[in-house]
Amino acid sequence: MKKVFIITCIMFIYSSFAPSFAADIDKLLKDFIKERLPDKDQFIASTTSELRKKLIKDLKQKYPNHNKAVDAVLKEVSLEEEVAIGRQIVGNLLGAVPLVDDPELQKYVNKVGRWVAEQCERPNLNWHFGVIESDDLNAFAAPGGYVLVTRGLYSMLDSEAELAGVLAHEIGHVISKHHLRVLQKSQVVDLGKQIISQKMGNNQIIQNLIGRGAEIVARALDKRAEFEADRIAIVLTARAGYDSHGLPEVLHLIGHYSADDDRVALLFKTHPHPDARLEKLDAAMGTKFDSDTGQTLENRFYKLKPKKPKSGY
Amino acid sequence: MKKIPKAAILLVMLLLSFTICASELNKPGVKNGTVLKNDSLKAEPFSDATEIGTIEKGRSVMILERKGGWYKIGTAKGKGWVRMLSIRTSKNPKRRLSPKGILELASGRTGTGTVVLTTGIRGLDEESLKTAKFNAQQLSILESFIVNRIQARQFAATGKLRAKTVPYLKEAKSK
Repeated sequence: MKKVFIITCIMFIYSSFAPSFAADIDKLLKDFIKERLPDKDQFIASTTSELRKKLIKDLKQKYPNHNKAVDAVLKEVSLEEEVAIGRQIVGNLLGAVPLVDDPELQKYVNKVGRWVAEQCERPNLNWHFGVIESDDLNAFAAPGGYVLVTRGLYSMLDSEAELAGVLAHEIGHVISKHHLRVLQKSQVVDLGKQIISQKMGNNQIIQNLIGRGAEIVARALDKRAEFEADRIAIVLTARAGYDSHGLPEVLHLIGHYSADDDRVALLFKTHPHPDARLEKLDAAMGTKFDSDTGQTLENRFYKLKPKKPKSGY
Repeated sequence: MKKIPKAAILLVMLLLSFTICASELNKPGVKNGTVLKNDSLKAEPFSDATEIGTIEKGRSVMILERKGGWYKIGTAKGKGWVRMLSIRTSKNPKRRLSPKGILELASGRTGTGTVVLTTGIRGLDEESLKTAKFNAQQLSILESFIVNRIQARQFAATGKLRAKTVPYLKEAKSK
């Protein structure tokens, strides 16, 4: 059966039918979305719901000979797959930018991050946090519970509450599965490509899914996903007992950088401007957090050691 | 004869205001800011506190301290509290020199050891991200620093961090 399937797939890929099949799926999806949900983001957000089941049923009816392919493409991403995707992305990113060589720093960031993650609905993920050796101002999240902050951003911070705010924003992306949704969306559209990768190893499938290297972290999420992560960050830091204004303080600071500064180029390309984020936060927070008495913990904040001078003189 | 005392008083006042400004600017943590939107100035950091004035968009202010979501600001009209998100802090170059760096600056020995800030890894540009190769060793180092839930709770207790119940925030309806 499997052989038959693979042969069918190969035939189907190399025939002129392939592009039209992919185009059909695309069109079907578009019609489907238009018909039932005018809001695309909501559609992507609803991938686990009834809608998804209906979509699978529709696709199977339309392509009765490709049930297996449809299954493979539209199935739920399991926890194992989510973590595997996250590891691949983070492993690639660390290939470009290694960790800061300071175990004490890394351990500290993991303690703060894990305590904040303890306040969210996925406390049982194996959360990993790290500071990477880049002067850029940025932070990254990858599926499965991976969060990285750059040295540049870390060295701007003054308190544990500010660090908690930054980590909480990234935790927000992980628990809302923002990146995973983007991947799933491209997966659905790239059905043809996915069928090819069925013949490849697991890592190769994941690598195909995330694109080249770690370029996925240079891809912008929907603006609404960023605003959502900001709102989650305020709540998680407050739940953790921190001063919930850590993230707004950091956004204030980032807002000072001019858009043509190399260190913020990627951040500004992939995120709404800090002023816009502060404005949205202001609107969502209202006066709810005005008399917040959470802790800032400046004294416990781990101060970065200066970079080790390069030897070779 | 009549005019001199007036001028003297003015001069003294001016000098005094300068020294007050200077002393406040010298305090650690004092920042300047710009008002982002018209808002009311309150006597205390609460939304139902007495309104003691208003601040207009574009005005420069001195940020004296923060309490929760409020900044205590100093303006020409006086001091008061305003919501943090109505202010944008001004650029305040924070140069953090290590004690060693300060020593080197003082002794004029900068230039060799301290230029490391500009060396090292390239910025996170798209090209270097695209060509990034999987680094299993770095990944396993990252994963070796994992902190479990019990350790996280102990860490929180040491910092006197107490977990609270706070509901998630809804997206504000656009105006």
